[in-house]
Amino acid sequence: MVASGTRQIRPAPVDGFPTPTSDLQTTTENILKARFEYVKASPNDFTADGPVLHRNAHLQFLLRNLIQGFPARYRSQDASQPWLFFWTLQGFSVLGVGMDESTRKRTIETILALQHPFGGFAGGPGQFPHLLPTYASVCALAIVGHPGENGAWDQIDRKKMYNFFMSLKQSDGSFLVSHHAEVDVRGIYCLLAVATMLDILTPELLTGTPEFIASCQTYEGGFGSASFPDWALSNDGSVKDVSAPRPPLGEAHGGYTFCATASWVLLQPYIQTYYPARSLSAPCIDIHGLLRWVTHMQGSAIELGGFKGRTNKLVDGCYSWWVGGCVVLVEGLLGIEKHSGGKEGREGEDSNEHAWGDVDDSLFNREALQEYVLIAGQHAAGGLIDKPPKPADAYHTLYCLSGLSAAQHRVVPIDERKAELLSAWVDAPSDRTKDEATSRLRKRAFVDMLSWVEEEGTVVYVGGAANRLNATHPLLNLTATHVEAMMAHFYGQKTPMRGAGTSA
Amino acid sequence: MSYIEEDEESGPPLYCERPEWADVTPIPQYEGVSSPIAPIFYTPDYKDATDYFRGIVKTGETSERVLELTEDIIRMNPAHYSAWQYRYRTLLALNAPLDAELRLMDDFAVNNLKTYQVWHHRRLLITHLTVSTPGAKPTADPLDTAQAELEFIVHVLDVDTKNYHTWSYRQWLLAHFDDSALWLGELPYVDELLQADVRNNSAWHHRYFVVFGRGSKAQATPAEEAEVLQREIRYVKGKISFAPNNISAWNYLRGILEYSKTPFSSQAVFAESYTVRRAPWDDEDVVDLDNPKPSTDADLPSVSAMDFLAEAYAREGGDSITKAVDLWKALANQHDTMRKKYWEFRIKESLETKSG
Ligand SMILES: [Zn+2]
Repeated sequence: MVASGTRQIRPAPVDGFPTPTSDLQTTTENILKARFEYVKASPNDFTADGPVLHRNAHLQFLLRNLIQGFPARYRSQDASQPWLFFWTLQGFSVLGVGMDESTRKRTIETILALQHPFGGFAGGPGQFPHLLPTYASVCALAIVGHPGENGAWDQIDRKKMYNFFMSLKQSDGSFLVSHHAEVDVRGIYCLLAVATMLDILTPELLTGTPEFIASCQTYEGGFGSASFPDWALSNDGSVKDVSAPRPPLGEAHGGYTFCATASWVLLQPYIQTYYPARSLSAPCIDIHGLLRWVTHMQGSAIELGGFKGRTNKLVDGCYSWWVGGCVVLVEGLLGIEKHSGGKEGREGEDSNEHAWGDVDDSLFNREALQEYVLIAGQHAAGGLIDKPPKPADAYHTLYCLSGLSAAQHRVVPIDERKAELLSAWVDAPSDRTKDEATSRLRKRAFVDMLSWVEEEGTVVYVGGAANRLNATHPLLNLTATHVEAMMAHFYGQKTPMRGAGTSA
Repeated sequence: MSYIEEDEESGPPLYCERPEWADVTPIPQYEGVSSPIAPIFYTPDYKDATDYFRGIVKTGETSERVLELTEDIIRMNPAHYSAWQYRYRTLLALNAPLDAELRLMDDFAVNNLKTYQVWHHRRLLITHLTVSTPGAKPTADPLDTAQAELEFIVHVLDVDTKNYHTWSYRQWLLAHFDDSALWLGELPYVDELLQADVRNNSAWHHRYFVVFGRGSKAQATPAEEAEVLQREIRYVKGKISFAPNNISAWNYLRGILEYSKTPFSSQAVFAESYTVRRAPWDDEDVVDLDNPKPSTDADLPSVSAMDFLAEAYAREGGDSITKAVDLWKALANQHDTMRKKYWEFRIKESLETKSG
């Protein structure tokens, strides 16, 4: 199927009033239009089925990086080494390629060298621990590791990691990304993803974090990098005025919006467990404004349906994941809102009825996004890119592929799967030593995360099934196999086969 | 930058060649890992400096030469957050003059705009320089320092008017020092930027931050607040009139109405004239200053205007929902087909709300 057959290619209207922003936009539209025409006329790139994914070229690109290493210009990534590993390994996973035993072993050894004696992982050996490399390291270990000696999973020091997390905590509910470093929602996403996977969530860790995330939403609906806390705090750092403004720092941005939205979803087990119990009113975000913002980031037909990272900026392949992949998270939140009867008491709404009906299909254009990645996102020499004529890099390679995957597969919270997981759940011995709420928190965190599965009969492959990629978890960007295995290990659970049903 | 260029003979001597560093034991990065995966091919000077950095971190030395070493590293790789962290700790340990450090960072900021650490380091320095402790005056006058920073940032934003970190740093400065004199200067600056490029979304966000971000902190009377709101509504409508498809301006209008809980329908008359192709008032001489009409070159109908008007109708509820649905259908099927699914969702949702 080729959606481009009927495309209406219209330049973005300039209203006879060009400015630097519209000039750049026009230039980019011309580049993309030329690229589209070039690809369409090239039999290698475009067959009767549509645009071709050059799977092999990308595998070669990844393999070269993994085995031979990265050229000198990657020095700028010297403090992000685990990201290079994660982008590469997850690239292989999405392409459906596993690692051989010796590569796994080498990778495990390399990543374990980044674990800091005080907990958490660093961007490189001898560097300081930081939330971002911690997420990348744990995700990379989810792919190559396993339980037991030398499997890396049991060599992750969860106690120290928890202490490291707590040492970064700020009184407004946010976290520094590292000591003496900045606060931003990327770090919080990384922390929440890791704490959920490793079963180290506690209420003390999460106090105030939902309020912080909510404060980062801007008037546009997306999220900025952080918010300004001090007006709400007294000198000793305690919260003195919950009603004081905590304005967002920086405009709505695709990367931060993904991180904040995913954080919001990851915080739901905590919000649902602790706010009612403490009779606290849960903070809210404007989900409808967020939905409008993420869907409006999708570029028009002349931009080949790629996603932008900010209003009036240019489309870029990496936002295929950060924003395209975020839409399904917002859909999930709409579902949660529906079940709990909405937040702001919109008119005519009643908690007993399904006010909005099921969100039964994606709210963005899945075909168009696939076209963007396939047509504009592939580099002739292998690897994927922001847009032509940019060079390929490890980062864009993963996020273009993940975005393409998110447009092919619809991975959503499925009630039947949730029921299966709940029914198979066994309280761990450690739960007996914890209070009831903490046990509920970990059970919810486990079940909610693994309830995201592919909805049957909803795949869409632009260019045909030969372009198929593996599905990836919308909250973690790992395949279901890797998430299930790692979480089952840390939570001491056996995950039931899908379709196993619920035992009576 | 190629490998060859970076490896020119004329460079300064390596740390391992300098006698004054002979007492430090360099630590190679993957000690004990036989064959690390996915290695980066470092240039000799970078490898040398970071080996010595690991050596210094291990002994915990904080001395003058650590400043030289960390500067070297962050010049080669401004994203090396550990070098920044260690440098900051060393500056404090040495009681080094932080204003000199700030000046050293000026050029650095302009050349490394996109690095988080550059801006965060400034924030640490500025905070430290202007903090008043009991019984001691701050090293630098807070207001003067903040003013100088704001002026410095203007030059940086000249280079890149949408730089994310620079903008969030500017917003932090305003909130942190929170002085009316500082806030007052911002509006003319934002206006200048919007004159230069009305589609600069960073400037619109900054405008919102400046006008509404302080909220109750601004301590305006209700009458003053109402006046500010009217001023902003007039301003943004004027900007919309000569670029009606500029979504940044429409988002601002929506944002300030939402903030002040003003019904969208209060601007329905204004928006309506942007939702039709041929303007019936073309022949009219009447000028409505409250509701400026689209410029003659405008590409109408404006998708953003249709989106706005539909929202206004939908929120009115009742019979107006039909009018919202008509607009959403036109968006879904004709004017904004990329977002067909979204517009159809809005239709479905509003009809269910209506019948529910
Ligand atoms: Zn990008």
